[in-house]
Amino acid sequence: MTLLADIVLMPLIAFVTGLALVLMARRVRARIERRVGPPVFQPVYDIVKLFTKKTQISHGVMHDLSIVLLLGGYITAEIFLPVPGFDGLAHQGDLLTLIYIMMVPMLGLALGVGSCANPNGSIGISRALTAMLAYDVPLAVAVIGATMTYGTTDLVKIVEIQQAGGVATWGAATMPLLAIGGYLAVHGMFGKEPFEIYIAPAEIATGPMVEMSGKYMGALFVMQCFQLYTIGVLYVTLFLGGGENWPAFLLKVFAVVFVSIAVTNVYGRYRTDKVVRWMWKWPTGIALVGLMLVLARQGA
Amino acid sequence: MTIPAPLDEVLGELPLVAARLTAPRRVRVDARPENLPALLELLKGRLGFFHLSAISCVDWLEEGQFELVYHVWSDKLKLLLSAHVRIPREPGEYVSIYDLHEPAGFFERDIHEMFGVVFDGALSLDRFILTSWDGPPPMRKDFDARKYAEETFSTVNYHPDWLKDIEAAGGGLEE
Amino acid sequence: MTDKPLKANERPPAGAEEAAGPAARDAAGPGQACPAPSPQERGVWRKIMDRFADHCRARSLFVLHYCTGCGAIELPPTITSRFDMERVGITPMVTPRQADILLITGYLSIKTLKRVILSYEQMPAPKYVLGFGSCTINGGMYWNSYATVKRLDQYIPTDLFIAGCMPRPEAVQQVLLQLIEDIDSGRANAWRDYYRNYDFYLGNQQALFGPKWNTPTDVIGEAEHYGLAGEGTYGPHTKLLAESGGTPMELARAERPARAITGRRKP
Repeated sequence: MTLLADIVLMPLIAFVTGLALVLMARRVRARIERRVGPPVFQPVYDIVKLFTKKTQISHGVMHDLSIVLLLGGYITAEIFLPVPGFDGLAHQGDLLTLIYIMMVPMLGLALGVGSCANPNGSIGISRALTAMLAYDVPLAVAVIGATMTYGTTDLVKIVEIQQAGGVATWGAATMPLLAIGGYLAVHGMFGKEPFEIYIAPAEIATGPMVEMSGKYMGALFVMQCFQLYTIGVLYVTLFLGGGENWPAFLLKVFAVVFVSIAVTNVYGRYRTDKVVRWMWKWPTGIALVGLMLVLARQGA
Repeated sequence: MTIPAPLDEVLGELPLVAARLTAPRRVRVDARPENLPALLELLKGRLGFFHLSAISCVDWLEEGQFELVYHVWSDKLKLLLSAHVRIPREPGEYVSIYDLHEPAGFFERDIHEMFGVVFDGALSLDRFILTSWDGPPPMRKDFDARKYAEETFSTVNYHPDWLKDIEAAGGGLEE
Repeated sequence: MTDKPLKANERPPAGAEEAAGPAARDAAGPGQACPAPSPQERGVWRKIMDRFADHCRARSLFVLHYCTGCGAIELPPTITSRFDMERVGITPMVTPRQADILLITGYLSIKTLKRVILSYEQMPAPKYVLGFGSCTINGGMYWNSYATVKRLDQYIPTDLFIAGCMPRPEAVQQVLLQLIEDIDSGRANAWRDYYRNYDFYLGNQQALFGPKWNTPTDVIGEAEHYGLAGEGTYGPHTKLLAESGGTPMELARAERPARAITGRRKP
């Protein structure tokens, strides 16, 4: 019954680590702004407060179901993401399945926001899908390059290949350009400045979150925890050697998210068309050059 | 500093206009109501007074007149000219200068709402500030704002202990 | 000008005399404060969960970033680095649906009060209103103005007031900490008063906006849902509400002129 234990424990670990990542994000932002920041249990307080709201405003069945899609997509993604000690369904499903499942939450959000009938929400979600279009291209190039280098899409094997020879066999060392392009795409996936076009509190009143209150907003906060964790672990698995043991693994995940958060807090927000243009130029360009190098090395 | 020569020349072309310099870059002109649109057009065409800063209104209750003040700015001369006209309070009508300066649309609407002055040819005289107002124009001096506020809104009768102590010692609030 | 926060505690006892004219004067003398739900009525499990929920609610408050009047100038200093509000878990949020606290910063003109009431009714319970500045307490600087309301707690229930013009961030911090303490001990229940005495609030609102005033929110339905509907909920004003037609959006359109200033007129 280890599979059952995996299915229960992996999302739980993801949630707890995600809470710590959200706290780190807020604390880092506070330090950059030269203030103190929230106390340690703040993400927990936020989520409990939202779930214990006495008024729950639902906009229909699709609105309720969208939350299921949102959380369900990420919880499923956790089960396909191997972490030290837990493999889950990583043997049955591979990298491509994972990338596919990671698109489900955004689509769930789109369906839910569509039933809210608030123009801010519709604009926000169209921006979110545009941003997805933007960062998916360099991400796809990076994934293809990584797959070709490792010769497999099985995430467990990818991790084993990287851990076989220490730091020299990490993805970031064997295919540096793809790692850079992949990191820029991952920064877009986090949805943080300068690519934070879908939340944009001052422009479109937080976009898709505009009509979410109470438990719906609480679920979005939970999704944020999962999102930071999943994307960080994906990058660590592909390019930073996965996790030999828990301390090293957590250090790497926190480092990936930390660099992203630190960069985010000193940037403004790009325009929507500028996001697409930038993403299709720089990360895609760098990743394509890296892909060509990988192909040349394999052909030689 | 004196009024610049080009401005002096233009002002001399119209009859019965008094002008003086009130501060560096501030000229006050008192014009007759029938001359004002022509004056503004002359200023705009010849001396570059393209920018209408504001139109304000003063209610002279005892004299039975409204005083309209048109503030125009010239970038060429770097000068703000305030043209004052007096119109009789009854019937409180004047001509609109919307076709000369477009911002006049808002100012005339505002003055109509607050003072009741009707501008002939204005773009729109509908209310936009006090949208649910049904009383007299509130900025007129014969409108008792305090009485209206006391009748419409209730306030707390605030008589704390420290005030009672002061009153017991012989002091108190001035009315 | 003292900087101590004043608690709103003037509510007319049930069946207060309503003036026939436009004024809705407060009955002389203090009315009853908003009572907390009686603790004896809850079971043990409910008590534990309520305690935990109140503990978390007090430490995570979202302020609606809606700056009503000039008092809002003191809000950015309180949020930003020097008087950091995020230390106690308070952050600004942009829509009423996500906010817990509605800060009425400064004077409220009649035009703004309509929108404030619409925003207040959109906020999910439990919600807290803080009157910020002297204008919300007794009229403040605009005490003799024909266009501003003099007392905020006649139109929406208010938890705490902050005196000052404007109150400094230290005063704002003091009141926010007081609010956190109130929420933690289960005392901040002014939101229930809206449902318990809806007729009183609706009467004052109708006195300003006319007998056809209504909002898209079904306040009476919500009152019955929460079990807070009482004798103060129904009355002559709610009868008028039931007969009124049109939503505030349609009423607002009727107020606004049909023609806007657009385009250029040919000279």
